[in-house]
Amino acid sequence: MKRPGPVVAAVVALLATTLVAAGSLWLGGFDPLQAGAALVRGSVGSPTALTITMVRAVPLILTGLAVSLAFRAGVWNIGAEGQLYAGAIAAVTVGIGGAGLPALILVPLVLLAAALAGALWAAVPAFMRVRLGVGEVITTILMNFVGVYLAAYMVSGPLQEARGIFPQTDPIADAAQLPILLPGTRVHMGIVLAVAVGAVMWVVFKRTRFGFAVRAVGSAPKAARIVGLIPVDRVMIISFLASGAIAGLAGGVEVAGVTFALYADLSPGWGYTAIAVALLGGLHPIAVVGTGLLFGALGSGAAAMQRDAGIPLAWASAVEALVILSVLAVDQVRRRTDA
Amino acid sequence: MTRVLARLDGVVRRFGSITALDGAQLELRAGEVHGVLGENGAGKSTLLNVLGGLVRPDSGTVSIEGVPVTIANPRDAWTHGVGLVHQHFKLVPRLTVTENLTLSIRTAHTGWRLPLADVKERARALMASTGLDFPLDADVEDLGVGDRQRVEILKALLRGPRVLVLDEPTAVLAPPEVEPLFELLRKLADEGRSVVLVAHNLEEILSIADRVTVLREGRSVLTAERREVTATGLAAAMVGRDAAVPSRVAESTSVSNETGGSPIVASCASAHVLGPRGEVALEDVDLEIRRGEIVGVAGVAGNGQRELARLFSGRTAPIRGAVDLPPRIGFIPQDRIEEGLALDLDLAENVALHEHRMTDSRLLDWTEIRASTERIVQDFDVRTPDTYTLARALSGGNQQKLVVGREIRAAGDLLVAENPTRGLDVVATGFVRALLPELVAAPDGPGVLLVSTDLNEVIELSDRIFTAVRGRLIEIPADARTRDSIGSVMLAGTV
Amino acid sequence: MPESLALIAFLEASVRLGVPLALAAIGETITERSGVINIGLEGSIISGALGGALGALWLGGAWGGLVVGALAGLFVALVFAAFAIGLGTDQIITGTAITLGGLGFTGAIYQAEFGATGTALTLPTLSEMPIPGLSSLPVIGSALFDQAPTTYLAYLLAPTLWYFLFRTQWGLELRAAGEEPDAAAAAGVRVRLVRFWATGFGGLLGGIAGAHLSLAHAGTFTENMSAGRGFIAIAVVVLGRWNPLLVLIAALLFGAASALQFQAQTFGLDLPYQLFLAFPYLLTLAALAGWVGRTRAPAALAVSWPRRR
Repeated sequence: MKRPGPVVAAVVALLATTLVAAGSLWLGGFDPLQAGAALVRGSVGSPTALTITMVRAVPLILTGLAVSLAFRAGVWNIGAEGQLYAGAIAAVTVGIGGAGLPALILVPLVLLAAALAGALWAAVPAFMRVRLGVGEVITTILMNFVGVYLAAYMVSGPLQEARGIFPQTDPIADAAQLPILLPGTRVHMGIVLAVAVGAVMWVVFKRTRFGFAVRAVGSAPKAARIVGLIPVDRVMIISFLASGAIAGLAGGVEVAGVTFALYADLSPGWGYTAIAVALLGGLHPIAVVGTGLLFGALGSGAAAMQRDAGIPLAWASAVEALVILSVLAVDQVRRRTDA
Repeated sequence: MTRVLARLDGVVRRFGSITALDGAQLELRAGEVHGVLGENGAGKSTLLNVLGGLVRPDSGTVSIEGVPVTIANPRDAWTHGVGLVHQHFKLVPRLTVTENLTLSIRTAHTGWRLPLADVKERARALMASTGLDFPLDADVEDLGVGDRQRVEILKALLRGPRVLVLDEPTAVLAPPEVEPLFELLRKLADEGRSVVLVAHNLEEILSIADRVTVLREGRSVLTAERREVTATGLAAAMVGRDAAVPSRVAESTSVSNETGGSPIVASCASAHVLGPRGEVALEDVDLEIRRGEIVGVAGVAGNGQRELARLFSGRTAPIRGAVDLPPRIGFIPQDRIEEGLALDLDLAENVALHEHRMTDSRLLDWTEIRASTERIVQDFDVRTPDTYTLARALSGGNQQKLVVGREIRAAGDLLVAENPTRGLDVVATGFVRALLPELVAAPDGPGVLLVSTDLNEVIELSDRIFTAVRGRLIEIPADARTRDSIGSVMLAGTV
Repeated sequence: MPESLALIAFLEASVRLGVPLALAAIGETITERSGVINIGLEGSIISGALGGALGALWLGGAWGGLVVGALAGLFVALVFAAFAIGLGTDQIITGTAITLGGLGFTGAIYQAEFGATGTALTLPTLSEMPIPGLSSLPVIGSALFDQAPTTYLAYLLAPTLWYFLFRTQWGLELRAAGEEPDAAAAAGVRVRLVRFWATGFGGLLGGIAGAHLSLAHAGTFTENMSAGRGFIAIAVVVLGRWNPLLVLIAALLFGAASALQFQAQTFGLDLPYQLFLAFPYLLTLAALAGWVGRTRAPAALAVSWPRRR
């Protein structure tokens, strides 16, 4: 019988988080129940709300998958945010520059460019980790800052719209846009892509030698090297780059599916939320799709909470942090009781 | 009437579902060297850790000079005059010897200043009276194992203990280095202390101890004066029954004749291999291993055996010379847990760690791997509810058995084993020692490279014996296969 | 003459920009020497910044704000310690969560108190305190000795903590806890307690650094004003080889490099201003790439203790 636990752990973590979050609201003079109602209403309370949740979930699922892959390999990729921006920049460049190409070619091209850019962004910390022995936590975080500023520079400089008024790019060609999945809504094909990436990742981990090598490297690098003769460094680099690519893809999908252009504050911190998404999902690709949706709901609900209950938007990030801490705590308790 | 300096009674200690001590008893008298014997897992280290304050007993009493005391931490132990010399040295590598000594001399009056000069003086005085010698200003990480042990002993002596406890001190020493250590222990005991020695080597204990206590499964099953016991009697007490210690020595001559004509399954020529710090660990080594034979390499750790094992298992490449290896190699690494297992993966996944190399396809056949795992679990008596259990949940001995089993099954052509029975209980040890000769005797059986610091094991199992001395292999002639002669070769570097 | 004025301005800016880094990095040096890497330092800094701002407003003075900011930083670090040391959760992820939580909670509190798009807050500031005598030294006098008092704290702490680490018994025990906790424990050191103290101390200094940011540097509080200084501080600890004196120097050098960008602007270099914003991070990356291989971190850094079986 398989070892039970990860689902229970996630549920317990969520419950603990809800309690602490509600408590913090109450301390701040807000009404937790009112807040909770607004959260539910804004996220799943109506068909419109549901579609907004789905749209908001897409970048979270993708970055969550990116982070899961990296963490599984033992690589602390905190840089999904910067990789996402790199992908968005590439996507918008190709999306504008490729005008005239048919959609069948342009869309994949845009997404491919986004993924490559994300991988490239991850290549710097990856190289520094493997060749120079520099811990990737700080380097990926530093690259986040650089990525955000690069995007800001791009949209007020080289890529700025022709009119030159706002710090944003021109819209991408119509042919570069992702087709809408549900007519009448903003739900685009990106969600299918996100789920597909999750499914592929799941199969890779479950059935392939490479997926197993990744898990071995992340779980026990010494044994992986000595018993399995697995090229640990190479596996790490590939995982790191793949993680960057998926995060870059998230940026590209957002540009091609929702905003159709790039502006300075494209991401409200998805790259960081992704950590909570990944951990709550136990780094399992299919579960991450679920937790991505959950956090998408938190995102769309947060807007409603601000509108209806006056709760500052920044509080949602605080809740994400609480989720991470709860998951970590619950996991530790599980481990203690295991032995 | 000799004074009783320390007494442990009815000590019970459990770790989760494992009962390490089940009412153990120990009485230590002034002026004696007391040997504590037992197989792996019998509770020796745990009992000593109770005395040293590293582990608190669940129940039982500890009394010092007749007075019951509570030893809740190492400081309590020192206060009561108990000094513990650990098997795994508790030294900080990047600090100097003096700093390490100063670290452990934490008295109430030290305050905040660092009494380095003071500690040095006291250390020198002790070194003069005991004959211990080592550089006080060197970084511990630059010292060899023997020196580190001397530092550990001095560290314990600095606190002026009445009871000195040593946990497996001979495990890291070459046979000829044991003598000076025992002389020192004798001296310390004669000065009125009680010296307690833990080992599982019968001969050594019998040569130094005044009295012995045998532990088995957490209980003290025998306490007697040296003159009252025999090696056989002690062995029986340790094991609990008349265990026939399998010996292959009688058959060895005939087997080595047979393998004279077997095909060579692995070899190296003029191989130079570098060690972890870039130094030359193996120098100009030639070795051939044939199918059906067990080549044993004895020697104290640090003479190049690890690199030899890594070379023949394909984990290291020589910087000079050549090595020729077959496709199907099994490798039992020395640190089986750290280097051989992924603790957070389940048993089948751990078997897959090796298996995954055996297929060319991109996909893994988990049904096959799981079936293979089931077979290993059965054949090697790995106690586990199922193959989905995480490796972490198994007991240490079962984890080892899994690794040993996995590698033996995988060794179609060659098995490289580093200390294969270290850490295994007596039954598992006997099982493995009986299995190896069977393995090689089978038609088309593999060759075995056995690298072990257990000299008895090497003598007992090997067809040919080499010893590793400072990076070179020296073959031991067939008529010189005794502990004494091999030991002197180890020291002298020549036959 | 104008060159020396520019030089003095440059030196003043170097110290001013380097001080918050120095304080946070010196604190983190102690934390890491005990074996704990506190990625949540950024959270301590931003909490110190908000704490400083709120404290100054409520208690009516910058010094009050400084104390509140320090305590806020301490509190955040203790939460981190409760998880990472008390429970033994992974230090890196826990630290990241603490930083995210710190940024989130401070943002939320700020928004709740002052509205999401409030006008910039004006705070009572920590004004410069010239040291009589020293501040009249030519060239370096005003740069080094006519600064906010938190600067002098950094100057005092560096040698004091150096002495603490390498010349006292407590420092020896702390270093042992960070190198080989098993050995330290066998010697009777309460490893986890030492680590709690070290982490709290680092958070306290991080809080002071944050309070310096809002009360001495900017004179106001804005969301995310810590701008990654906590992460840069961690890099500075590496560059300073976990030695408080070298860390102080490295932090001031960093301040100088950041000050350079303003000089470049005055020289009319037509570079996009985002490059200037990105400069500290790029510089940190370059410094890490160039320096790391040659230094050794405390051996037990970031490893949970006691180890699981």
